[in-house]
Order: sequence, then structure tokens, then C-alpha cells
Amino acid sequence: MTRGTSRRGALLAAVTAVALAATACGRDEGGNEAREGDRVGSGRASGEITVWAMGTEGEKVSVLADDFMRENPDAKVIVTPVPWDGAHNKISTAIAGRRTPDVTMLGTTWVGEFARTGALDVVPPDLVEPGDFFPGAWETGVVDDTAYGVPWYVETRLLFVNKAVARRAGVTGAPADWAGLKQAVRDLQSRGGARWGVYLQPGQTGAWQTVMPFVWQNGGDIHDGEKFTLDSAEATEALAYYRSFYDEGLSSRDRLREGEPERKLLSGEVAAFVSGPWHIGLLDELGGEGEYEVWPMPGGEGEFTSFVGGSSMSVFADAANRDGAWKFVSYLMRPEVQVTWYRTVSDLPAVQAAWEDEALAGDPLLATFGDQLDRAKAPPAIPTWEQIAAGVDTELEKLAKGTASPADAARAMQQQATAIGTGG
Amino acid sequence: MAAGASSPGGSRAGSLSRALTGWTFVLPFAALFLVFTAGPVLASLAMSVTDIRGADLLDPFAVNPVGLSNYLDLFADPKFVQASVNTAIFVVAGVPLTMALALLVALGLNSGLVRFRTLYRVGYYLPVVTSIVAISVVWRFLLHPDTGLLNASLGLVGAGGANWLNDPAFALPALIVMTAWRNLGFAMVIFLAGLQAIPQDLYEAAEIDGARRWARLRHITVPMLRPTMLFVAVITTIGYVQYFEEPFVMTQGGPLDSTLSLAYHTYNQFGFGDYGAASATGYVLFVVVVLLSIAWFRLLRNNVDR
Amino acid sequence: MTGDPTRRRDRRARLVLHVLLGLGLVAMVGPFVWMVLSSFKPEEEIRRVPITWLPEDPTLANYAELFSRLDFPTYFTNSVVVAVLTTAGNLLFCSAAGYALAKLPFPGRRVLFGMVLGTIMVPNIVTIVPLFVLSSNLGLVDSVAGLVLPFLAQAFGVFLMRQFILSIPDDLLEAARIDGASELRVFWRIVLPLCRPALATLGILTFLASWNNFLWPLVAATTEDTYTLPVALALYAIGQNRTDYDLLLAGSVVVVLPVLVVFVLLQRHFVRGIATTGLK
Repeated sequence: MTRGTSRRGALLAAVTAVALAATACGRDEGGNEAREGDRVGSGRASGEITVWAMGTEGEKVSVLADDFMRENPDAKVIVTPVPWDGAHNKISTAIAGRRTPDVTMLGTTWVGEFARTGALDVVPPDLVEPGDFFPGAWETGVVDDTAYGVPWYVETRLLFVNKAVARRAGVTGAPADWAGLKQAVRDLQSRGGARWGVYLQPGQTGAWQTVMPFVWQNGGDIHDGEKFTLDSAEATEALAYYRSFYDEGLSSRDRLREGEPERKLLSGEVAAFVSGPWHIGLLDELGGEGEYEVWPMPGGEGEFTSFVGGSSMSVFADAANRDGAWKFVSYLMRPEVQVTWYRTVSDLPAVQAAWEDEALAGDPLLATFGDQLDRAKAPPAIPTWEQIAAGVDTELEKLAKGTASPADAARAMQQQATAIGTGG
Repeated sequence: MAAGASSPGGSRAGSLSRALTGWTFVLPFAALFLVFTAGPVLASLAMSVTDIRGADLLDPFAVNPVGLSNYLDLFADPKFVQASVNTAIFVVAGVPLTMALALLVALGLNSGLVRFRTLYRVGYYLPVVTSIVAISVVWRFLLHPDTGLLNASLGLVGAGGANWLNDPAFALPALIVMTAWRNLGFAMVIFLAGLQAIPQDLYEAAEIDGARRWARLRHITVPMLRPTMLFVAVITTIGYVQYFEEPFVMTQGGPLDSTLSLAYHTYNQFGFGDYGAASATGYVLFVVVVLLSIAWFRLLRNNVDR
Repeated sequence: MTGDPTRRRDRRARLVLHVLLGLGLVAMVGPFVWMVLSSFKPEEEIRRVPITWLPEDPTLANYAELFSRLDFPTYFTNSVVVAVLTTAGNLLFCSAAGYALAKLPFPGRRVLFGMVLGTIMVPNIVTIVPLFVLSSNLGLVDSVAGLVLPFLAQAFGVFLMRQFILSIPDDLLEAARIDGASELRVFWRIVLPLCRPALATLGILTFLASWNNFLWPLVAATTEDTYTLPVALALYAIGQNRTDYDLLLAGSVVVVLPVLVVFVLLQRHFVRGIATTGLK
């Protein structure tokens, strides 16, 4: 590098620092009212469309991109696969440095956070029909009544159960409510001969995905639109229910590491656990096909009974090829393309119509997932959710280890969430 | 640590030319360093006194200065306090342990062994380069409460084992030992290089005087190794104050935050887009390292480096 | 066999030392050996608890998958170019600056050294956003220059070199200066040769750090063509809900080989520098 550049760089760095420290002119407190996206119109896509996608999706999405380019010969889709590990940091820095692609895949819990930066484009009104998607999944892309992401694939959580243990325990079919689930788990342990009747993640990162469904099943919620409701009676009861599995010795208080749950389920050491569709593949790879069944989550007062996750597609506001980008996104959401995608990487379609295809409808395990998706929801799409969730996970660990009462944990969650706020 | 070199030059012109020479030597480094290291550091320092969050990424200037409130808020955050205590224990126990082990190995390898020397050097360095994933699998196997090698060995001598990684009382000590094991090779390499800089004739003279091994170690090796020890002490302290990878792969900071480190906490805050607080935590770490380094400089300075 | 008691004692001491170092060696190499052995196992066998050592049915499938799924030549070349340039730059710039900081009095020396020390102590994660914004403004994003320049002159290296050069006796340098040698000549002909062990250390450690660096190469590359090996390995082996240990371990073995080669080559330079120069 030449000295000229380095001086310019030094100057720039100094200016950045000084400007940050001194001028700090205060943020523009924009309103949070709903925004209307610009239309994209019809016609073929053209030009270069740059896409970031994570992990396996990033590696394989070129399959769909090739089909898209056959339909739109003037368009060229350039995919950069991004490792999941570090993807969040990569997108954050790209926004700060204004080096974003046209389209990016986002984890559904990230949309709220990145939407609030102003870097994401509003989903065009003529692009897709919200009602075509699972309602819980569509909501993950909606911030302040404005859609910033279109759900691409979904996942939800069910109970995976060892069939042989269930048979020995005389447990036939999924329990309908909490009392039924508790009794079933007791039976799996005492009569089925499992060391642990169930494995519920004892706190730490991601445990909220197991426990918030209990809150929803009980008619509670995370946020009521005005304030957090983590210390409501419904939520507190749900936490007490969660803790009771540890207190009664039904679930291990030690966290299982990656790779352990599927082995322990198949060996019968753990009779059941809560997990998502990827566990079908993991169990089958260990020769577990036909050895396990899946149960929907128990019902209750609440409308929703499980958690919905997955990934969305978003377009950046300063995309060089906005129209092409949205056209590519809408292509991905066609029911037949969603089925192709399922066949390629086993990602469950976010578009309900795709589930009528024999590949999905003909598989009883998947059908259970499909039914659960109708009654699954996500946490509110607020930018601070990951931070609030981390606080929730900490309190859940205290519950699981028996060092906090449900009321204390609920109070602590509510207090932390309120202090962090919704980032608005 | 001022001029340890030649006596201050005589004439004015002489000292000017000395200054020019000095700056010529540091210029390439200084230019790159100021732009790519000092610049971003200053910018992050500025971030630590604003309320910048993830939502401000696109427009980092439109933030409000908040003075020291990010810093003051930290001390009201129970996670920060817990992480500080964990980090302090980690550093106080881990740094001396690592240095002592590394020095022992380096002295052993430097004591005139010719056979297998390269094998030993490579072997002791291997943990530094081994994939953290492989390390975590094998260490988890060692520490497993039911099937682990450690509890089995303890059982042989009649001692009860522990649920190492799931017990808040034992998880941090287990990670300290693992980290010392993993970083020993790094310090060993530097000690090995430092040992080569000690003039052989000092030892020869001492041998003629009939000095025993221990006396030679105490009166020649240790004093002559001081600049190296200072370097290893400071670098290891910096590394350990920022320890992150071991809890990240082994315990995710648990159980009950007993292995959460300040660097891990910073990493989380950064991930949450809480840039102001993350930077503030980073600079609290910075102050701690500076204070510890000053202590090391005091403790290990010698007549060369005063 | 001589009856010389000192020699016999020496031999016994040496044997004890070998036994101790050998025992330590076993404890040190365990995970590495497991990594290498397990890279020849299928995923199912790798995951067993308790772990197994020798592969039941050794297979090269993991390596085959690694080389067929990853565009290996591209990532490998990127990693090598970045690590070699970074290492060369640090050896040169840090030894020159370290020499000046240790042996040449110049105004601003203490300030510069203070800044050097200070910046080592700031956790990398907090500077990544400003560094990216800077690189973006300088047009360095998605280029090899962008991967190398920020790490070309690191504080760590200067600190290391300064500490080593401090222990070179001043008389040695003074003697050369009196003979009329320029500062450059003193540096090149006397200081650098005496620094061989230190340069070897810096080379080993810088190469390793650059080779394993993950976050910056990930953030600074916007297309796959500029990915380095660790980034590519994370992409293919570490998924959202699962980690492919088979691919990861085979990849880790391949990634570690160049680092070991560098170490074996450079550790030979841990030889006595000063004694061989005939210092009085």
C-alpha cells in the first residue's frame, strides 16, 4: 500500500472517531407507523441479483437459482454461501459498511432487529399473499405492521418419543393436556424403563424455544402489544410446570451436548425430547427409522401450542437490483418451488399449499409437523428479542437447577425484559 | 523503560539524526498500526460513550452521547459482576499455572537433550494447533461423570469423582486446567526462544565457580529471562482476561454462569447489537489488563528494562 | 562404561527427564491423535460416548467428501497467500520497529510503545465494526489486501521483538557503530541474526494466528472466491442445527498440516544466537 492511501486512511479513521465522539447529533426518533412497500410489477427479472444464504441453504440454493435463470434468461443470480457461525456479525458489519447484497436469508428471529436499522426494504404489496403462509411464520417478518421478510422455510417443535419405551409403558398416542403429558412421562420412566422420562433443555441458549410454548399453551404470552407479560399468572404456572419435571426427577438437570439426545433416545435412556424436524434426519442416520414417533404439543387455554422458527428472505433497501431481487424471492415462494426445495434439502415449506404435495402429505411424521405449524407461533419481532431471550434462558437454568422459584424467575424475566425494552 | 541503549548523544545534530533514524525504523509499522489498529480502537472507544445499538448501524452518527452511563450500568448488571469474578479467578489461577508449566517444560527441553528434541517440541505445541472441536470432545470424555477417565482414575485411588462440567463449583477449575494445558505450548515456544538468548559463557563461568543446577537457574537463567517472562506474563494475562473459546465450546458459560467470562459477555452483548455496552465492557477489560500489566512490569523489570 | 560418578548421575538425570517429558507428551498429544484417527471414521463412530480411538473400519470417505464439496484449491491458495504475506510483513515491520523501541532513543518512543501495548489489550470484537467501515471506505472489502493489511503490522509482534532485542547487549551494537556501521547495517547484520529464535517464534505464532483467523476473513469477504479455509470449513461443516464432525475433523487435519510444517521448519532456529557470535 502506498503512503498516500495510508494517510487518507488515518485521516478517515480519525475523522470517524472524532465525529462519533463529538458531533453525535442525536438520533432521529422516527415514528413506528406501518409503511407501504413499492410495487414490483410483473415481467421477467433481469440483471445481476446477489444473494447471501447460510449453511446448507447457501450451498444448495443455486439449484433453484438455475431454474430461475432458465425462466429469466436476462437475470444472473450470484449466490454467496455464508457460514451460520458468524453470519449475524457478517450481516451487521455489511450494513454498517454499506456492503450488502440484494437479497439475504435471515433467521426468523433476526428480521425484527435488522428491520429496525432501516436497511431492509418493505415487502412489495403485489409480491406474495400473506394468507398463503403459516400465520405464525408470516408474523416473524412483520415489524410495526410492516412486512420486511418473507418466510422461506419453517420448523416447529414436537415431542420425539421412543416407540418401544412407549409400548412398554402402555402409553398410546399423544397426551392432550399438561396433566396427560406429565402422566405419560411418568409412565415412560417408571413402566417404560427409561432413566429419564423426557429431556427438556435445562436452561442456557435456546431453552426459551422449549418453554415459551408452555406459556402459550396456558394462554399466556411474551408481550401483549403494550408491555411484556412474562410475569403473568399463566406464564408463572408454565414455569412451575417446566420446573416440576426436574423436581420430580423426570428430566436430567444436566444439559445434553449436540449429538447426545438422538443416541439416548434410541438407546431408551431418554424416552422423549422436544425438538424440530432436523431430528428426523439425525435419528434416521443412526438407523432409528421406525423406532420413534412424534407427538404434537399438548393443548390448553391458549391458541398456540408450539414454537415456529426457520428462515426468511429479505431484500436490502439499497439493493442495486431491487426488482430482480424481489422477483427471485417470489419465485422461491411458489408452491412447486417450495416442494423442490423440500426434496433438495428437506426444509419444510412455509407456504401452506406446498404441503398438499405427496412428498409431504404422504409422510405421517411430516403431517404431524404440518398440523402443528397451524398452531405454532414465534416471539414478537422486536430488535431486542435475542437479548431478552438470553435473560430468559438464564432464569430457566436457575429453575431447572432448582435455585429459583417460578415466581422469582418470572419476576426476573419480566424485569430484565422491561429494562431492555423493545428497542423502539 | 526509557533509554536502555547507548548514552544520550552528544551534539544536537547527533540527537536529531538519532531521532530520524528511530522514526525511520518505526515508520512502516507505525503507519499501518495507526490506520488499522489505533483508528478502529479509537472509534470503538467513542462508541462506548454513546447509546449506539444494532438499529443504528446504517447511520452510526445519529446516536446520543451518554457519557459514562454505559460503564456505570455495567456494575448494576449481575451478569457483568459474575463474569468479572469468574474472569478474576481464571486469571489469578490460570496465568501462574500456565507460566510455571511452560517454563518447566522449556527448561526440560533446553537442558541439553538431543534425542527426541523435535518430537517433544512438536508434541507440546500440538494442543495449540489442534482443532478446538477435537479438544472439546476429548476433554468432555475425560471429565464425563459416568464414563470419564478422570473419575475412573479417582475411583481407583478411592476418591469420589465429580460432575465436573455441570457443577457450578467445579466447572471453572476444570476449564482453568484445560486452558493451561492448551496454552502451555504457546508460552513454551516463547520461553524456548528466550532461553537461546542467554549467553552460554555465563553458564560456563558459573560451572567453573562450581555453581549447582539450582543456583545457575536462580542466578543466571531467571534474571536473564526476565524480558521474556515479562512478555509471556503480559501476553498470557491479556489472553486469559479475554478467555472465551473454552467456555464457548465446553459449557456455554454455564452452569449457572459459573464459567461466563467478561469476553464471552462482551461477545453476547455485541451479538445482541448492544454496541455501546459491549464496547464499554471491552474497555473495562482493557483497564484491567493495563493495571495487571503495570503490575507485571513492576514485578519483572530488571536493569535492562527500567 | 566409565565409573565417573558425575557422568552416571547425568545419565540418570537425563533418563528421569525423558520419562517425565514422555509422560507429559502423552497427555499433550491425546486430542490431536484422536482428531487424526477419528478423521478416518464415519460420523456415527466419531460421536460415540465414551469415545473410541482406533477406527473400526478406516475410511477415506471424509477426505473424499472434503475435496469434492469444497473448492479446495481456491480456499487453500487464499489462506496461504494471506498467511504468508501477513507473516512476512510482521517479521519485517515488527523487527524494525521493535529494534527502534528497544535500542534507538527517539521522541515519541514511550507514547508509541504505550499505544502498542494498549491496543493489544482491547478485545478484537469491539473494533470489528469500525474496522469494517474503514476497510469499506478504503475499497478493501472482498480483496486479499483487505484480508492482509489490517494484520500486517500487529502490536503483538512489536512487543515480542522489543522484549527480545532488549536482551541483546549494548556493547555489541556500540562496537559495530564505532566501526562505522550504519544503523541499517547494525540492524541487518547484527540484530537480525541474533534474533533468529525470536523471529522464528514470531513467524510460528503469526502464521498460526493468520491461518486460523475466522471472524475477519468471514466479514471482509463478500464472495466465496475470497473465503479462506477456516471460513469454508465452517460453512460446510457447521450447520444451524447440526455439526458434521466427519467433515470437520478431516478438514481440521488438512488445515493443521501447513501449521505443523511451519512449526517444524522454524523451530530448528531455536539455536543459541549469542554464543556463536563470539561475544567476549
